[in-house]
Amino acid sequence: MKFIDPHIHVTSRTTDDYEAMAAAGVAAIIEPAFWLGQPRTNVGSFQDYFSSLVGFEKFRAAQFGIRHYCTIGLNSKEANNEALAEQVMEIMPLFLAKENVVAVGEIGFDDMTALEEKYLRLQLEMAKEVDLPVLIHTPHRNKKQGTYRSMDIIEEHEIPPHLVVIDHNNEETCEEVLRRGYWAAFTIYPKTKMGNERMVEIVKKYGPERIIVDSSADWGVSDPLAVPKTGNLMLERGVPEEHVELTCYKNALAAYSPSGQFEESDWLDPEPIDQRTLFEGNSVLRGGQAPRVDKPEDDRIIQ
Amino acid sequence: MSYTPVQLLENWILRQASDAGQAWLDTQREAVATGDLKSLYMSFGFAPRKVGKADLQLTERDLNDAAEARPGWMPHTWTIDQAARVLLLMSLPSEDDAAFYATLEKLFQTAEIREQICLYQALQLLPHQELFDDRLCDGTRTNVKSIFESIAHNNPLPMELMSEQSWNQMVLKALFIGAALDPIEGLDRRVNPELARMLIDFAHERRAAKRPIPVELWRVAAPFADEIALEDMKALYASGEQLEQSAIALALVSTASDEADVILKTNPEIAKRAENGEITWREIAQQAY
Repeated sequence: MKFIDPHIHVTSRTTDDYEAMAAAGVAAIIEPAFWLGQPRTNVGSFQDYFSSLVGFEKFRAAQFGIRHYCTIGLNSKEANNEALAEQVMEIMPLFLAKENVVAVGEIGFDDMTALEEKYLRLQLEMAKEVDLPVLIHTPHRNKKQGTYRSMDIIEEHEIPPHLVVIDHNNEETCEEVLRRGYWAAFTIYPKTKMGNERMVEIVKKYGPERIIVDSSADWGVSDPLAVPKTGNLMLERGVPEEHVELTCYKNALAAYSPSGQFEESDWLDPEPIDQRTLFEGNSVLRGGQAPRVDKPEDDRIIQ
Repeated sequence: MSYTPVQLLENWILRQASDAGQAWLDTQREAVATGDLKSLYMSFGFAPRKVGKADLQLTERDLNDAAEARPGWMPHTWTIDQAARVLLLMSLPSEDDAAFYATLEKLFQTAEIREQICLYQALQLLPHQELFDDRLCDGTRTNVKSIFESIAHNNPLPMELMSEQSWNQMVLKALFIGAALDPIEGLDRRVNPELARMLIDFAHERRAAKRPIPVELWRVAAPFADEIALEDMKALYASGEQLEQSAIALALVSTASDEADVILKTNPEIAKRAENGEITWREIAQQAY
């Protein structure tokens, strides 16, 4: 079975992870722009981070047979540094039109401050201007209120719910998110957000419609195989295969395809290899359809 | 009748773009011409969505027109969005060279891979090229082969702008990463003893590691081959694979030295084919990669 992990921070992961993900059936991933743990002190750090999301990381992932997409946005925590936030907003037009950008995100609330709300609203307007879906990060603390408030604001800006993914849901928030017509994403992240046994129960209870499973694997203790592991657990526990396909692959595809940048044919039916200069980099990438694992027969020998 | 690069790009796009794409491009070029940077940044990004990503369908005549409009310009690998992006860049006011440079650098710094390829190929048609020699050298340090090739291949700027040291590094790196040498413009014109020495050293490293030596290496190393290099070539000419033998024959023929003649005589059949032009570097490059 093929999987999409529509929320993973692979910039923080190694090539071993890419190999394991490809071997487990992950065909495409989305890397939302987010917090790096270490707060950024100037706009140059954002610029280089965004550049790596639209450039080198896409290239690196492809070498392991994985198609990489991203979302671009000013995250909620760093929205609280107003001077910096202003400069980040200024450079966002340089990045939103890039070819692998499938949404504005992840944006939303952390502490639910006035500044967080200001930049959430500005970025929602920006998403409308460039015609992209939105990925919403919901807060760890005061989650229910933060989630509801995010949806209220989105509705004030008249963005239709089918263009919005609300992420990091749990048993407490998902009913309302689904009721209002949004995509409800769940982060399978050890010990904190959602475990995969709980996830199985949620799919059994609510069905597969508009539910999306992701890993959010990042620089913390997390699991880049969370989506395939959850998909396999669902099958083991009697969830029908088509429900697994929807929650671990097809719903993500449908949610981000309005961007025009997220097409199944990109990974199922890649363009033919073209030897000419312009596409030769791409042909290297597509040559990596099957993950390239050049293990010597005797692994004590390094050739 | 000869055309300017702008006229050629406009014609090529006109032939292939939809009316809507064409209208969008015209509007954006007007906005960019007023110095509106936000329009430049957004339209540069959106170009593939508006005019498509198809290959430019160019005839022999188009390619001749291109070479006449800008010597060394070889757009046979260009795509329609690339042409549109270059027209947008050519619309940008350029009287103030510092401001022009700063805007281009901003685009370089934030470009994704296809955009970088486009920018490196675009420079040959833009004003103030001399300001970008550091940028070219910096670009060749990339790990991304397609970006490296956008600078090294079918691009006259390295030949025109790069110092000997940067040029030598570029040629050596091409061999390292498996990029062909044949599409490097000015390759035979800018050979030099230091480059030949670097390549011979490289050949020896490869031999020590029991890895194959790229066959095109001999084209650049042969004109300054010392005794050791000639020994290497002699050995490969006797026992190498067919492609290696062909490459060495061609390399030795072009040096026209006595030592080369001695080696060539050891396998006169291949030597004759090389002398008659039955073997070309282009074919060798095509077979090698």
